[in-house]
Amino acid sequence: MGRQRVDGQTCFVLHHHPYSETSLIIDVFSRDHGRLPLLARGARRPRSAMRGMLMAFQPLELGWFGGGEVRTLAKAEWLGGMPLLSGRCLMLGYYLNELLVKLLPREDAHAALFDTYFAALSALAQGGADAPELRRFEISLLRELGYGLTLDVDADSGEPVQTSADYAFVLERGPVQKVGAGDTALEQGLRGKTLIDMAADDYSDPRTRLESKILMRRLLAHHLGGQPLQARRVFMELQEL
Amino acid sequence: MIESLRCLPGVGPKSAQRMAYHLLQRDRRGAERLGQAITEALQHLRHCTQCNNFTEAEVCERCLSARRDHSLLCIVEMPIDLNSMEQTHAFSGLYYVLMGRLSPLDGIGPKELAFERLIQRATDGEVKEVILATNFTNEGEATAHYLSETLHARGLKVSRIARGLPVGGELEYTDAATVAQALLERRDYQ
Repeated sequence: MGRQRVDGQTCFVLHHHPYSETSLIIDVFSRDHGRLPLLARGARRPRSAMRGMLMAFQPLELGWFGGGEVRTLAKAEWLGGMPLLSGRCLMLGYYLNELLVKLLPREDAHAALFDTYFAALSALAQGGADAPELRRFEISLLRELGYGLTLDVDADSGEPVQTSADYAFVLERGPVQKVGAGDTALEQGLRGKTLIDMAADDYSDPRTRLESKILMRRLLAHHLGGQPLQARRVFMELQEL
Repeated sequence: MIESLRCLPGVGPKSAQRMAYHLLQRDRRGAERLGQAITEALQHLRHCTQCNNFTEAEVCERCLSARRDHSLLCIVEMPIDLNSMEQTHAFSGLYYVLMGRLSPLDGIGPKELAFERLIQRATDGEVKEVILATNFTNEGEATAHYLSETLHARGLKVSRIARGLPVGGELEYTDAATVAQALLERRDYQ
């Protein structure tokens, strides 16, 4: 891998770790270069211009250089325009970041996913309805990762999903119409309407919101391969306080 | 010995070597004192049952002091933050040191930070107002938000330290994020 210089990239910091005495390693999601780790030299010095700027959930314009796995951050500018996340929305932001950190391979550009992530954070920052944003992001994540999520076509018959029928979602395949009650006892039941709504990006029906949440949770758990989501656990514990 | 000294922050192989030779050749008494001090601190140091800060007694001096206002409780992340608050000479209440902050991606939640202990301390009847002085990072904000919710629900007055331009600060030299936030959190002026 040759040395290269990249400038003017819109990025989000997903996570950060302290590195040596005064530096920071940031896990960055950039629009054109995907997710990559950057070394921010001296970013933890008391008077560093970058101190406090390399925050998650804020659009930044970053520039970096170097070859190898960890590039060096050269420049950081605050793009602004997005209010800081707070409260519950902040925890949902952590959830999005954890999904990206755990599922997105490094240095794989996903511009569409980046835009969905940007839109989801903007919506969270405005404090709007969060369920549609989260589902949209989750669906975009699975599609971009190449899991080919099919929602509105029956995986068995190849026919379009019907509003009034009940479906079971078979992992790695897609929705399959339930013939009789209880023949796929282990599968979570789904209305055809939920699948059609999800495909049409319409979350106005409360039952669609509930069923899509359960379906996406199951699909993500499958792709996470049993890794627990810390953000969800912490969120649940905080709800119990 | 050189290896052991390297566990200190900011000490690399070269300075570790210099320190080791200095202690052995020029200041053997100092080395002995240092060794004893470390051993004693490790043996006797524990967390104050009131403020969770490091202390040698069960309850630290600050928490026992009659001159401090026992109805005010200021929550900070780390002992070093407590020192910063003390340097202001502007606060005469008591503290609670969390010894961390919520960090969902690192798996640090209310259990890891022993929120239960803090809630017990804040609801012991003596405390009337809780001041949240966690950092203005995402993690500090998340911590403040959830502490505020849970303490509010228990009938306490909860406040958060203000954020904005530094004293003597000029707009021209202040970063955009701070100015933006200062604008959002502006307040009535009399």
